[in-house]
Amino acid sequence: MNKIKSILANVLQIDENSIRDETSPENVESWDSFNALLLISEFEKAFNIHFDINEVMSVKCVKDIKMILKKHGVETEDE
Amino acid sequence: MTENEYIKKIKRAKEELILNDSLVNYLKLYKGLQDINLNVEEKKIKIAVIGDSTLDGVKEVLNVKCRILGLYPLFYIAPYGQYAQVILNENSALYEFKPDITIVWINVDTVFSENFYLPYRLSSKNRKKLVEDCFKNITLLLKKISEGTDSKVILHNFQMPISSSMGILENKQEYGLVESINNLNNKLIKNYQTDNQVFIFDFEGFTSRYGKENVTDLKLRFSADMRLKPDFIPKLCDEYLGYIKPIKSLNKKCLVLDLDNTLWGGVVGEDGFEGIKLGPKSPGNAFVEFQKVILSLYERGIILAINSKNNPDDALKVIKEHPYMVLKEKHFAAIKINWNDKASNMAEIANELNINLDSLVFIDDDRTNRALVREMLPQVLTLEIPDDPALYAQTLQKLNDFNILQLTEEDIKRGEMYAQQRKRTEFQKISLDLKDFLKNLNLKVTLSKADKFNIPRISQLTQKTNQFNMTTKRYLEEDITKFSENKNSLIFSAQVEDRFGDYGLTGAVIIRKDKETWVIDTFLLSCRVLGKEVEKAILAFVIEQARKDGVKRLVGEFISTKKNTPAKDFYKDNKFKLANKVNEKEEWVFNMDTKHDYPDYIKINLRV
Repeated sequence: MNKIKSILANVLQIDENSIRDETSPENVESWDSFNALLLISEFEKAFNIHFDINEVMSVKCVKDIKMILKKHGVETEDE
Repeated sequence: MTENEYIKKIKRAKEELILNDSLVNYLKLYKGLQDINLNVEEKKIKIAVIGDSTLDGVKEVLNVKCRILGLYPLFYIAPYGQYAQVILNENSALYEFKPDITIVWINVDTVFSENFYLPYRLSSKNRKKLVEDCFKNITLLLKKISEGTDSKVILHNFQMPISSSMGILENKQEYGLVESINNLNNKLIKNYQTDNQVFIFDFEGFTSRYGKENVTDLKLRFSADMRLKPDFIPKLCDEYLGYIKPIKSLNKKCLVLDLDNTLWGGVVGEDGFEGIKLGPKSPGNAFVEFQKVILSLYERGIILAINSKNNPDDALKVIKEHPYMVLKEKHFAAIKINWNDKASNMAEIANELNINLDSLVFIDDDRTNRALVREMLPQVLTLEIPDDPALYAQTLQKLNDFNILQLTEEDIKRGEMYAQQRKRTEFQKISLDLKDFLKNLNLKVTLSKADKFNIPRISQLTQKTNQFNMTTKRYLEEDITKFSENKNSLIFSAQVEDRFGDYGLTGAVIIRKDKETWVIDTFLLSCRVLGKEVEKAILAFVIEQARKDGVKRLVGEFISTKKNTPAKDFYKDNKFKLANKVNEKEEWVFNMDTKHDYPDYIKINLRV
């Protein structure tokens, strides 16, 4: 989860500690459509995986990201 | 934020980006650099970007890159999908913005629309017509920009498709899709080959270099119309910087090279003449190739110099006698082979060549030397060169800091001329008396009327000459052409050579004639020919011509600037009398009865 949070914080330029499962474009101003795509790219780079186009469109909040990462075999549970 | 804090921040940003040049990192740095406005006119650059796809990130990356160069960038980014409206509407925000550089990035599928996917519905004749129509439309758009602004215009060429419905028969089709796009690209190149406002950026070459499948993420393309993966945006912006640097005169002129493990493998002091790695066998061949790339830069006019910690005899023996040295002694304008520190040598090289430290690029395999020069002389561009010599040549080839917007004869010969200068200085050291030295130089000055061959150079001289320039009036090519066509003006250039070689076109004079009065509007000489009394010879010619024309009053103008002190006493020393002075502007008058001879050791050649 730490790595995921740090990517989110880095791209959205928000405090890592403020990130919850419910964090979403609704409550983070910097989470615009462009940053949403940057997030995908950064996760792909960091975990060496590939999201497909349906997965990209399905991301609505942090929880969704974690689910997709899990599907790709990335450990997402809190330590 | 104070200016000092800002400079520190920029320095840190630079270091961070060497380690990680991802788009996200640029976006992060971007925010921290915006609170200070370096509102200095000469540092300002207005950049317009117009495209048909998503341009997000370009502004932020270019902003950071420009600020690292010491510039203050301002931006206009056309709204998504509105490139044509923005360009065609003369009242659009683009024209209000008055850009210095306008980047136009339109993709081939936009230009060809449906025909890009279904080209073979058209007959070959209609495909040919399609290319002609596209060419017309694009050149029309560019004409609008170049007429509506003073901006340089950078047009992306069109990317070739990576597959065809025709498969292996694609190039058996008359005027097939690939051939059509190639033709469109070539027509654009030809059309703008001699245009100094419009430049074609080889976007096709750019995507090929990194791999077309690799630079695009198709899901980002379909979900957001992003044509490049985020981390290729900084690489694209580097290409744009290749244009911005020469526009802002940030281009480099001189390449300073280390010797051991840079021009050859090994250390000559330890491995000996025969032990160093340089030749057809690996790894010596990597150094041979690197030297060839350097030689090609020299032949394009880049000045070369050596800065090496070495025993001079050992190192010079390699340069003079090694059978596989591509670079010879005659190619170097300054040679510093000693045990001094590299930063002091660097400063001496700049001083000796009379060029600014910020025109130097330094290549050294040794990290400590690089760090020292970076710390002591941050103005010098110290290249971050990979440890592997196999990558040296490619690293140098990628450098865009030698870019210039226009190449004149003089630019091409610069490297050679500076190298000849070294020989001259050595000669001067052995001849004791200046008069004797000048006499033995066999100076020859050729004076020529302005014509289409020398007009670009005359304009360039007025733009660039600061020291021996009586009035520092800057003229565009168009202005020089007007002078040359006007009966009431006399304009000529001076080319100087001596026994060591040709200095090229290094002087220019513009005279405004008003009945019996001649006013010397411009009188300038490049600093590399100063101290030889060439200016006295040129003035003698002006006076002679004035006499022939029955001129009663010959007036020399002088406008004082921070940089033109070498020219300050020129008219006074040549028996002109100060007649008028208003602010920085002086008028000196020559009594036409006064004697003024040509210096007897200068041969004059007339083509006026």
